[in-house]
Parts: sequence; structure tokens; C-alpha cells
Amino acid sequence: MPKAVETRDLTRAFGDFIAVDHVSLEVDHGEIFGFLGPNGAGKTTMIRMLCGLLKPTSGSGMVNGFDIANQAEEIKRTIGYMSQRFSLYGDLTGEQNLKFYGTVYGLNSRQLRARIDELTDQLDLGVFIDRITGSLPVGWRQRLALAAAIIHRPAIVFLDEPTAGVDPGYRRTFWELLYRLADQGTTLFVTTHYMDEAEFCRRVCIMHQGKPIATGPPHELVDAHGEKNLEATFIKLITQGATGTG
Amino acid sequence: MRSILALVRKEFIQVFRDPVMLRLIFVSPIIQVFLLGYAVNFDVKLIPMALYDFDRSQLSRDLARSFSVGDYFVIESPRIPLQRIEDGFKQDRYRVALVIPEGFSERVRTGRPAEVGFWVDGTNANSAGIAIGYAGTIVQRFNERHLPTRIPIEMRQKILYNPEGRSVYFMVPGIVATLLTTITVMLTSMAIVREREVGTLEQIMVTPISKTALILGKTIPFAILGFLEISAALALGTAWFRIPFIGSKVLLYGLALIYLLTALGVGMLISTLCRTQQQAMFFGWFFTLFTILTSGFVTPIENMPSIVQHITLANPLRYFIKIVRGIMMKGAGVGDLYPEILAMVAFGIIIFTSASLTFSKRL
Repeated sequence: MPKAVETRDLTRAFGDFIAVDHVSLEVDHGEIFGFLGPNGAGKTTMIRMLCGLLKPTSGSGMVNGFDIANQAEEIKRTIGYMSQRFSLYGDLTGEQNLKFYGTVYGLNSRQLRARIDELTDQLDLGVFIDRITGSLPVGWRQRLALAAAIIHRPAIVFLDEPTAGVDPGYRRTFWELLYRLADQGTTLFVTTHYMDEAEFCRRVCIMHQGKPIATGPPHELVDAHGEKNLEATFIKLITQGATGTG
Repeated sequence: MRSILALVRKEFIQVFRDPVMLRLIFVSPIIQVFLLGYAVNFDVKLIPMALYDFDRSQLSRDLARSFSVGDYFVIESPRIPLQRIEDGFKQDRYRVALVIPEGFSERVRTGRPAEVGFWVDGTNANSAGIAIGYAGTIVQRFNERHLPTRIPIEMRQKILYNPEGRSVYFMVPGIVATLLTTITVMLTSMAIVREREVGTLEQIMVTPISKTALILGKTIPFAILGFLEISAALALGTAWFRIPFIGSKVLLYGLALIYLLTALGVGMLISTLCRTQQQAMFFGWFFTLFTILTSGFVTPIENMPSIVQHITLANPLRYFIKIVRGIMMKGAGVGDLYPEILAMVAFGIIIFTSASLTFSKRL
């Protein structure tokens, strides 16, 4: 069985700037994989390539056994994507948004009704599903965006900074939802720069200037570098700009 | 197919929820028809005329009176002496002046040629030309009445399609064509660029929606709105301004559909070129202004310098305006309009295809 995500020397350049520089990594099915790094480390570019939104400059990558170079449309059927920006229509209600994305993913109206009810229950959307999403607090919007990203039961969900701008108490709730999702067998590929969140991941990859500088389970990285937590490890690695794997 | 419907439905929910857009889409055609129907008026009537009668005879008064018959000229007795006649033009007191010199009637009576002066404000060449035409006819009739010995050749005019020469008959079909252009180019490009700006376009791009469905879903709503617009403009034109619609409505709508390929294609091309709504707005504005100016909407193409006339051949709106005017005013059919129809089909195919090819589901 192919890995959920597998890349070999994946590279993307924008002119002279190399956003993602020879990244090779593997993500197993059903794991929560954390993709960490400071702003500009190439996290969003990486996710966009894996989702078939950007063509790689060189190197290769497979998502769910499909090649990102020429099977982007097949990949899109099996993945969910929650981008850094709020990507629901702010002038539609939550339900209208979910119906729109559900239909685009090919759900018929009966499946859609059942799935929306299920998600309403699972993500606790009840109170705000009928409201215009633009007027909702950020935390609720994120929950709706997650619902839209998983409406078609994708095998992998890519989440790009899903909790940016969300208050800490709410971030915890959101991660509990992600845990539940992973328990059901969904692979989660999450970028974040909150190190406390990264500790929830089974494995993490720390990126610096487009290159992966450490990959492994969070506690192993911490131990290998003799630090007290992931945050300290991360700072040490970034300031050294060192390469190495944990 | 269902995803196209989902996109169309979503677009309409958004339009009907936005009061600014609603006003823009449904009030602007009404305002345009009224504004251009009433304000853009090339009918030249009731031209203020200064009369300098130095002859003060029965004959000179007769000549002056024949200018005041009909709605063409309104005679004003000037308070400004002839030496400063130009002041009256500068102050816009009158547009033309008739000067009858002393001895006018004496010369006519003794059979010598007599002259009268006719001054015209040429600032607006169009109305100046029309005023000279009126004056020429009036003087000719006057000659016939007073010097009946000559055998005049009489020209019998027959003006077709718009015998009263009402500008609004000419303007409203033009408005129909320009409205369809403006609204579809602007709305299509803005709608796509707005989604790009907000980030929803990226979200749609990661779905398995086909490129064709995405393009159709983003253009069909504006094609429908465009049809609503021109229907509103046509209804207003025929009901309020009583403009005759001689030709086939089905043919007009059918050809409008072909023209829409071009307009929607341009909207899409603009959206692929632009990153922000401001850029799209500027591009759209530039495109529509340029096409409208070189389309023959206001100034006849035949009056343009020959190089500009050649440029207008590359303007799809030029053909569509001719088609709308031909169908509405003259009852032209496919056989009469086939060169224009062929040109529009070619434009439609080329522009829409290249827009579809450049439109990408990647960032």
C-alpha cells in the first residue's frame, strides 16, 4: 500500500527564490503529521504542491498513490484542504457554503443532507450553521471551514495554519476535533508555528529556509537535542540552521 | 453538471444579497436608457438666431419671418451692435446670426443679385452643419417664391427607418449593445478576481471540479444577468420612448448569445491578468471605453480617420452594434447581416477559446 504522502527531492522555485528545496518525506496513513517552521519556511508552498495547486520545479511526489506532476485531478478527489485564509464565502450562510462545496465534490442532495447533519453533530455546528459566515467569530469560522474541507470524507486533509488567529482556549477544542478525525483513520497534514500544538502530532518535520532540518516524533527530537520541550528544540535548530534528523 | 448549477446558484445568492450589486445591475440600465435617451440628443431644433436687419423693408422682414417658421430657428433681436457680433457667440446668446444689408430689397427689385450674411457658431461641427442645411433650404424656398421665373429642380426626399430623425431611435439599440458589453466584462472579471482575492478560488481549485464546469459556472450567471439587462433596456426603450422594434427578437437574442462569447471571454482574460479587483476594474473600464468609442455608438465610423477606421475592424462591439441597429430599426435578417455575424462568430471562438486555455486550475 502506498504511503499517504511521499516526496522525493521536491523543489519549487519562484524566480531566484527557492521556496521548497529538495524535500523528501513520508507520511503514513492515519497519522497526524506536523509541518513546522517560521514564516517563509516554505510550508504553504509545500502544501500547495501536494494539493495539485502548484507545479513542482523538480523532484517528485505522490499523494494517495497519485503523482502530483500529472494526476492532480485524481489527487483532488481524495484530499481535503483548509487554507491559511478563511476560504468560505463570507456572504453565504454556513449551510449554503457546505451545500456548495458538497455539490462540487459530487454529493447528491440526499447524501449532502445526511453528511451536513453528521458534521453538524460531530463538529458542533448547530448554533451557527444558519448564520452568514462573514459575521461569525474566527473560531467558529474555522470549524465551518474544516467541515467544508472534509465534507466528501477525504483520506487526507491538508491544514495550513488552521488555528492562526484563534484564541488559545479555542485552539485546544479545534485540536480535539482533529484528534477525533484522525481516530476515524483520516491522515492529517498540518502546518503550524505553535509548538504546543506540534506536540499533538505523531511526527513532525521542522523546516528552515525551504529545507527540512529535523524529522521525527516530537519527544524524540526533544530528547535527541537535550532540550526540555519542542519549543526550545525548535529555537535551537532554527538558530543553528543545522541539518540533522532525530 | 450539478457543480455548474451549484456555482450558478451560489453566484445568484451572492448578487441578490448585495444591495450595491443589485442597484448596479438593475438600476444602471434604466438610468442609462433615460440619460442617453433624453440627454444625448443630436436633434438640432430651436436654434437661437440673431437678426441684423439693416434693410428694414417688407422683403427683408419676409425673409426673416421665413426663418422663424417651423421649430428650426428662434429669432432674437440682438442688443449687441454688429461690430461686436462675436461677443454674442462667446456669451452663447445665439448660435447663428442673419445679417441683411441695407439695399437688399432694392437690389432684388432691380434684378441684381443680393447677398445676406449667415454666421454660424462652429464649435459643434455637427449642429453647425445642420443649421447651415436648414438655412440653405429656407433661402431656396424664399427664392422660389419671389423669383418664380426659374425652373427649379425639386428633390423629393424619402428618409427610411427613422423619418423623424429621432436620436433616441439610434441611441437605444446602441445602449443595448454597450450595456451587454459593460455588464458582462465587468461582472465576470470582478467575480473571478474577487474570489482570487478572498481565497475561495483556491478552495475551488483543490476540488475535483472540471475546468469546463468552473468556467461555465463562472460565466453563465453573468450571461443571464446580461440578458436581463438588455431586456430591461429594450422594454424601456419600446414602452417609454416608443422605439419601433421591426426585426426578430429571437434573432437579436440569438446573436447576443454569440456576442456574449466574446464579452465573457474578455472578462475571463482580464481576470487571469489581474490580481486585484482594482486592476480588474481599471482593465474592464479601459476595454469598454475603448470599444465603445470605436464602435460607432456615438460618432459614425465613416467620420473617423482612415487608420482608426481600420482599427475598428478589430472591435467586436462594432459588429454587434450594427447588428442590433439593423435588426431593431431596419428589420434586417441573417442574410443582410451575415458579414457581421461571421465576424462575431470568429471573435467569439477565438477569444473564448484563448480565455479558456489561459484559465488554469493551478495557482
